[in-house]
Amino acid sequence: MIPLGLLSAGENGEIVEIVFGKGEAGRAGSAEQDKSMVRVEEMGLRIGKNVEMLTNGGSTILLRVDEARIALARRMAMKIMVRR
Amino acid sequence: MSTQLKYKDEESDGEISGRSAEARVITVAVAGNPNSGKSTLINAIAGTRLHVGNWAGVTVEKKEALFDFGGRKIRLVDLPGTYSLSPYSQEEIVARDYLVHERPDLIINVVDATNLERNLYLTVQIMELGIPVVMALNIYDEAQEKGYRIDGKAMEEMLGIAVVPTSATRKTGLDQLLDTALRVADAPKQRVPKKLNYGEDIEVACDYLAKSFRTSYPALTDSYPQRWLLLKLMEQDSHVMRELDLDDLDFLDQALHHLRKAHGEDIESIMADARYSLASGLTREVLHKPELRPTEITEKIDKIVLNRFLGIPIFMAAMWLLFKLTFDLSAPFGAWLGSMTDGPFKRWASALLTPLGAPDWTVSLVNDGVIAGVGSVIVFVPVIFAMMFFITFLEGSGYMARAAFVMDRTMHAIGLHGKSFIPMLLGFGCNVPGIYATRTLENPKDKVLTALLVPLMSCGARLPVYVVFVSAFFPNNSSTVIWSLYVMGILLAVLMGLIFKKTLFRGEAPMFIMELPPYRMPSLHSLCVHTWEKGKHFLYKAGTYIFAVSILVWFLLNLPWGVEHKRDSYLGQAGAVVAPVFQPMGFGTWEAASSLISGVIAKEIVVGTMGEIYAPKKEEQAEVPTLQEDLKEIGVSFGAACSKAVKTLLYLPVPEEKEKDRSALKQALLGVFTPLSSYAFMVFVLLYMPCVVAIAAMRQEFGTWKWAVVGLGYQTALAWCAALIVYQGGRVLGLGG
Repeated sequence: MIPLGLLSAGENGEIVEIVFGKGEAGRAGSAEQDKSMVRVEEMGLRIGKNVEMLTNGGSTILLRVDEARIALARRMAMKIMVRR
Repeated sequence: MSTQLKYKDEESDGEISGRSAEARVITVAVAGNPNSGKSTLINAIAGTRLHVGNWAGVTVEKKEALFDFGGRKIRLVDLPGTYSLSPYSQEEIVARDYLVHERPDLIINVVDATNLERNLYLTVQIMELGIPVVMALNIYDEAQEKGYRIDGKAMEEMLGIAVVPTSATRKTGLDQLLDTALRVADAPKQRVPKKLNYGEDIEVACDYLAKSFRTSYPALTDSYPQRWLLLKLMEQDSHVMRELDLDDLDFLDQALHHLRKAHGEDIESIMADARYSLASGLTREVLHKPELRPTEITEKIDKIVLNRFLGIPIFMAAMWLLFKLTFDLSAPFGAWLGSMTDGPFKRWASALLTPLGAPDWTVSLVNDGVIAGVGSVIVFVPVIFAMMFFITFLEGSGYMARAAFVMDRTMHAIGLHGKSFIPMLLGFGCNVPGIYATRTLENPKDKVLTALLVPLMSCGARLPVYVVFVSAFFPNNSSTVIWSLYVMGILLAVLMGLIFKKTLFRGEAPMFIMELPPYRMPSLHSLCVHTWEKGKHFLYKAGTYIFAVSILVWFLLNLPWGVEHKRDSYLGQAGAVVAPVFQPMGFGTWEAASSLISGVIAKEIVVGTMGEIYAPKKEEQAEVPTLQEDLKEIGVSFGAACSKAVKTLLYLPVPEEKEKDRSALKQALLGVFTPLSSYAFMVFVLLYMPCVVAIAAMRQEFGTWKWAVVGLGYQTALAWCAALIVYQGGRVLGLGG
């Protein structure tokens, strides 16, 4: 299991955990984090999904999820865990 | 909101029959994901009948069209593109408030057939509302080309809604979509979408809640779609809770007790999971993809365009090309319009007015005020429409979203993310829509900071000023000089962003997430429709504001009554008072100062005012051409403009014309400004306070004058400093004064 942000271009992974939006004690996080969490899920980045890293470099990464290309901040990508 | 609709009563309604049905206007709401081709679809159906406005109270764009189809009246309402109906953005709230409170007869749900699962997530939520739904399975042609097989029949059966394959770009399936919509609207009872099963735990809780809720709040169950309301209560949707003013519902806790114990505290994500697994289960059932997935053209292009090292140079080159094409193509037509207002129009106005016994001052008001003022702005219609056309092309082709991606890192440096780049890009067209576009940002700090920086983007209205000065002083490298002004605006936005970030807006930069649509060739029709939508604001301004201001300026220039020299007029006096402020920048003349004062109304008026101040002295013309000669000349010169534009574009040599068509304004400017002081003047025009419309937009957007005043203040100070540095720096470098 590695953070999504560490996949290199061309690699695939299955999302197994999304760790942001949860506070340290496992409670719900801040409103801002909740919002980001909801956005990520609406864009189709959900547990069990297969994603492909298209571009990884700089502060923003580019993923392919199904037929959609999603650009995502690296900080968010580091909080999404994937299995290669 | 309008009258409260009785949901329960409507359920007992039978089929609406006979004549009353035919007279009725059928309201159809169009909902769908961003990038699902929704706006192309609406353009293809409604075309020029589309009316663009705003949703009441917010600045989200609202498009509507009323038209006849199959002998029936249909009102099409375009909802903002959303990924869901959660309460987290203005767009989502607008969409769901409309669906819940206005209750259209029917929803057309536009679904991207190449990206079924995520689009169905919205479909599932729309179905909760209990309004008949027709699905437009859009981009169906591309899905087929990719080898996808989608079983529409199976989808119809599983969801209980009609499914029609469409391709908005190729305009196929549209009539069938409307036919189906009419059929469904006539028999709403039989066409209510199926109630989807969200899993036993949720359904049990929902049933329990339904019973207690119905006894405690019978009125509410009547005025909201029942299932939707229950599900939202379970999610404790902040927007609904606030709207209903329900805070503590002890039976809600009881209803959710088991659910919480079994699945955890976060009911919102439990519900989201339930909806998503319905969407993905459905996708698995109906979609058959080919085994091998070829590398798509979009990915190939992205490899280059989004490359770490090539990305920004490609972006800069694209921007340069945008300006180059805009100016080369439009310049001849601008000149043609200019020669028309200068010559024939003024002659015709005099010929019309003089026999009517109009006094000299009226003729002068019409000629030197209205025609000269509005005319000198109308000249820029071709430039602005050309620029809007290419910006629309960049949007429609999918590159605009890449620009945001490429610029994200740069934007990060000033504490914004790439999404803020889009309002800024729009700002190049006109700052006002740019400021309104900050709505799409979720964080209030980003909104304000972005809106403060948008006016540094050189809008279309400043272009007329540059064009006049550049064609007078830098005729040989006009594109480069204008481009340098645009770049300066961007660099100063970066600088100001850094300063604001360190002072007014401390804190973490927000998270970035956005979808990059596939590259598509936009159709000429949709390009034209959108270009018109963007450009017509300019025409509107020319027809109203600028018309009014031209008259005002004429009076200010010609009062007190019988003023001999324009310097002694009211505007001239005001200009003379302010002029010393501009002395260190090399344009401390009352003419320049007066123009800048009137330019606060709208920056293109700077040119209009100069046109009036430097209006040529009346020369008695030896022979006045007849009407036929005038008309013939207009036609001939239009043809010449067309051929010149084409030739410039193809890099064919254009025969140098004798520079006799150089307008009087340019001649006058050459006598007053030097190249250096003209550049300093352009820099000042680029930066000084935003026009009143932009200030009003900021006031409206943030509900306080505070940020509008901050913007006004910092920009004027910045403009003064920058112009000073350019002028004095240039002199030190020996570039002449």
